[in-house]
Amino acid sequence: MKPYTAHARAAALSALAYRGNFLLSLGGAAVQLIALLAVWKVLLADGQVGGFDWPHMRAYLVVAFASATLVGTFVDFRMSHRIRSGLVALDLVKPVDYQRARFAETAGGVWIEAVAVIVVVAITVAIGGALDTPPGPMLGLFAASIVLIVPLKFAVSYLSTLACFWTENFVGVLWARQALTGLLSGALVPLAFFPGWLATTAQWSPFAGLTSTPALIFIGQASGTHAVLLVATQLGWVLVMWYGARLLFRRGLRRLTVNGG
Amino acid sequence: MALVEARQLTKVFRRPDKDPGMRGAVKHLFVRRFVDKTAVDHVDLSIDAGEAVAYVGPNGAGKSTTVKLLSGILQPTSGEVRIDGLSPQKDRIAVSHRIGVLFGQRTQLWWDLPVSESLAVLRDVYGIDHGTYRRRMARFEEVLELGEVLPVLGRKLSLGQRMRADLAAALLHAPPVVYLDEPTIGLDLAVKDRVRQFFRTVRDEGTTVMLTSHDLGDIEGFCRRLVIIDEGRIIFDGDLEAVKDAFARERILNVQTETVVPLEAARAALPGAAIEAGETPLHLGVRFDRFTMTAGHVVSALAPLANLVDFNVDEPSIEDVIRRVYSGELVLQP
Ligand SMILES: Nc1ncnc2c1ncn2[C@@H]1O[C@H](COP(=O)(O)OP(=O)(O)OP(=O)(O)O)[C@@H](O)[C@H]1O
Ligand SMILES: [Mg+2]
Repeated sequence: MKPYTAHARAAALSALAYRGNFLLSLGGAAVQLIALLAVWKVLLADGQVGGFDWPHMRAYLVVAFASATLVGTFVDFRMSHRIRSGLVALDLVKPVDYQRARFAETAGGVWIEAVAVIVVVAITVAIGGALDTPPGPMLGLFAASIVLIVPLKFAVSYLSTLACFWTENFVGVLWARQALTGLLSGALVPLAFFPGWLATTAQWSPFAGLTSTPALIFIGQASGTHAVLLVATQLGWVLVMWYGARLLFRRGLRRLTVNGG
Repeated sequence: MALVEARQLTKVFRRPDKDPGMRGAVKHLFVRRFVDKTAVDHVDLSIDAGEAVAYVGPNGAGKSTTVKLLSGILQPTSGEVRIDGLSPQKDRIAVSHRIGVLFGQRTQLWWDLPVSESLAVLRDVYGIDHGTYRRRMARFEEVLELGEVLPVLGRKLSLGQRMRADLAAALLHAPPVVYLDEPTIGLDLAVKDRVRQFFRTVRDEGTTVMLTSHDLGDIEGFCRRLVIIDEGRIIFDGDLEAVKDAFARERILNVQTETVVPLEAARAALPGAAIEAGETPLHLGVRFDRFTMTAGHVVSALAPLANLVDFNVDEPSIEDVIRRVYSGELVLQP
């Protein structure tokens, strides 16, 4: 365990080194949050759209902001750089598991994003009033699903950075992934607004767990067994992608170490 | 069994043979052509505990590739490696505690953290207890003057500071086997001296060292054994002193004359030496054995033929020796 807590500690420290960049991107995300809140407030001024009224939509957008901020793109750039620069080769002569070390770094860097989320949520509450919270057990489930965002988002990022073993155009891969996750996670609009087949596909895809699942549990649109099932799906995808990534990493590494990149 | 063993070690790189640009990339999807490059070619190497081996050869000879094979970073195409009886490719974790690797062109320090933090991560990665850690750091301080470097961020290090920090990082876990691939590249003379001093203390503590360098100064007084690789093949493996005796006899005196001296005239004046044309007709190179002739003798033999404007004496570089060993001009007996 110690090698991994060391990586987490170092990443937690290095997050401070990037606070300037981070604050800038946070500012961007906060502006987006304000814009979305303004738009939906007008749209929902008198009534509902797709089962959402204004208080629900407001809570949904705040949770979506939180899940977008946790595990930001910095993680993608750090991990892709490690492969593209060949640093991955030096990791092979260390007594650590590559994937676990990268996860430890990701988890270590989350604190600064969590602090930022708490501040922004507090400001939102101060200006627009308190958010309705779900009843006790569902609040616990919500907390679990927020925590699961970290390994889930890590797995999605890690898998896409493994593309660097095969392509030099990581930025292209990143954009494609962001477009896909933005849509299927419910970060742009709630999945309920999609046509039925797409909503169902998205709901059970690994991406719903990034935004839709915690947000729906928070606003009470998913509760009871349905909510448990959604969180179990998050966990399931974490495990599937964790072990899938191991296979893919081994193949990528073979390419590097057998053919020479 | 030796501590480091390579048997018939071979590495063939496969590179896609693509035409440049988008068209080439698309074409490659349908017609896959590859070019094979044998970087390491049936290398046999056996290094005993405590040996310091210089591993030299021209650019692209396969030195770094050998180091990567010996440390488990690359899979051999054929042949095998044993470190202390273990395979670095298969027993990765066990071998990682036994080897330390430094690539002079690469850094393993955290870019945005002070050096002390990078080293603390490595301390925990290798499970080094705090007492041992303090002792080793004190030694690094003594020989590498690491103290001034510790608070500096990885990205703010000068090359010399970076190399000293990376050396500490590679040797922190006191591995019995160390590979140093161009550890003095780009360093100024003062830092080079300090680093070389450090290598000697490491060797004297019984560490097995394999050192790759283009700088003869790194090797002299440090390695007793010299291995020369060219085009992936080992062309010499033997005592460094013997090589030095064989080639250190050679000197080249470069002269610039006021008027052209025909080569034949110079040859007639200096029977025991080899005369080569220089960069202009006014330049001559005289290659002689310093045990049978002196530079003064060469100069006085040439003086009657023309006025000498300038002259200097070249000592052969390690590249020179390798080139001449390879061309068969210089025969070394292992
Ligand atoms: N990953 C790779 N893919 C394809 N070819 C490679 C790869 N790495 C090395 N080579 C080729 O293998 C040969 C040996 O390279 P290597 O880096 O081992 O040389 P070297 O002796 O370390 O040279 P230098 O003194 O320049 O560092 C070179 O021709 C190089 O182009
Ligand atoms: Mg090299």
